[in-house]
Amino acid sequence: MVLMLSVERLVKRRGSREILTDVTFRATPGRVTGLLGPNGAGKSSTLRILLGLDRADAGTALVDGQPYRRLRQPLRTVGSMLDGSGAHRSRTARNHLTWMARSNGIPVRRVAEVLDQVGLGAAGGTRVGRFSLGMCQRLGLAAALLGEPRALVLDEPVNGLDPEGIRWIRVLLRGHADAGGTVLLSSHLMTEVDEIADDLVVIAHGRVVAAGPIREVTAGYPTLEDAFFALTGATAGGR
Amino acid sequence: MTFFDTVAAETRKTATLPATAVALAVTVLGPVAITLINAVGVRAALRSGRPELAYTSPVEAVFSAVPIGTVGAVVLGVVAVGGEYTANSARIGGGRQITTTLTATPSRLGVLAAKAVTVVLLVAVAALVVIPASLALAGGIVGTEAPPAPEGVLSRSVGAGIYWMLTALIALAITVFTRNGIVPIIVLVVNSTLVSVSVLLSHLTPLARFLPDLAGTSMFAGDLLAFDDALAPVTGGLVMATWTAGLLALASAVFLRRDA
Repeated sequence: MVLMLSVERLVKRRGSREILTDVTFRATPGRVTGLLGPNGAGKSSTLRILLGLDRADAGTALVDGQPYRRLRQPLRTVGSMLDGSGAHRSRTARNHLTWMARSNGIPVRRVAEVLDQVGLGAAGGTRVGRFSLGMCQRLGLAAALLGEPRALVLDEPVNGLDPEGIRWIRVLLRGHADAGGTVLLSSHLMTEVDEIADDLVVIAHGRVVAAGPIREVTAGYPTLEDAFFALTGATAGGR
Repeated sequence: MTFFDTVAAETRKTATLPATAVALAVTVLGPVAITLINAVGVRAALRSGRPELAYTSPVEAVFSAVPIGTVGAVVLGVVAVGGEYTANSARIGGGRQITTTLTATPSRLGVLAAKAVTVVLLVAVAALVVIPASLALAGGIVGTEAPPAPEGVLSRSVGAGIYWMLTALIALAITVFTRNGIVPIIVLVVNSTLVSVSVLLSHLTPLARFLPDLAGTSMFAGDLLAFDDALAPVTGGLVMATWTAGLLALASAVFLRRDA
């Protein structure tokens, strides 16, 4: 059940602008790692490179020592959720998950299982375009869980969830890590990360400004919020 | 993960989009409807003793209806790729299907090849239904007054099917470049129905016969082609296939390098 996500000296440029500079961190099994930073700090870019969607200009992002693009049935190793549901709006939730399952040789019975698991059991036949934001997030999570992966990579997973949904995902991710899985999630919401994460990677302007167990990163500051603003150089009213 | 899994997933994905159903309906019903109108015209001309007023036979009534089926083939090719880039509204978190597709199947060449196979299969099924059905319909309407069928109906039928497949693949490749279905649909549909740029160019230069649509048309058009220097059917097919292969190769190179 060991599965490490490692990002090493990642550099990414868009045009002449460097949006990631020497980003290095690890997400280890049995722990929830929170990638925390203001909007535009480079969280999504880092995750997209880790998932083989975008190319880095330098550095490596590896899943158990190999690039994501080399994984044979990636959905069975890493479950991921980027912005929204990742489904075409004129598909039903069930249809979306079914083609995904087919692509990775995942038994189709998993589709109904994950729909029930995320609380969309009754909405499987509804077109994604009719979903609410919260339902789309749940569908994105269902897609991530589809292949029973050892690692979960989630970009802003609590976005759009109601308090009950946030509590539910916290329990889910905790359970995944406690069972030996690896969880890497990004967020710009400090309170959420504070309650979910074991390890913290704070990123600002494309650079990692602090990383380590959450208590170490926040040591010397009264709260995570104080640590965050001090580390990222953001001003409290500036976001 | 095998290529077969990727093809199975892509086929299911494309075949279950509502736009695909519309495209298949156009590919099948469009030529049947035009054939019907043409065939009635042929029958009337034959009965009035003025066959020069219409297409000369039921067979020509069918093959002059091929361009309308091309519209469906274009839409199929465009939808297979364009659907990946359709953005969801910000209200539901935004996002596009392409991220799901490429995290599920990181092999980009595999994804593109599977899409090409899917599009060819769908067009082939449509062609196998619509061309025999149109020939039967035209034959039935014109009836016993029809002149003897010209040579080469089978090869022209196959040619029309291949023309649709290659057109769909060209549409697919172009949509990889644009990452949006609207522009390729408008340009390609207008070009294959209302105003053919290639036909216009053919009035300026004989080189226009080497353009993909005009070259490919010679596979099925027979004497219908209003163009003096038309290529022979097999040559025309090979020219169009070369264009298709070139565009697909270029699309693959772009798709491989580009950030999703």
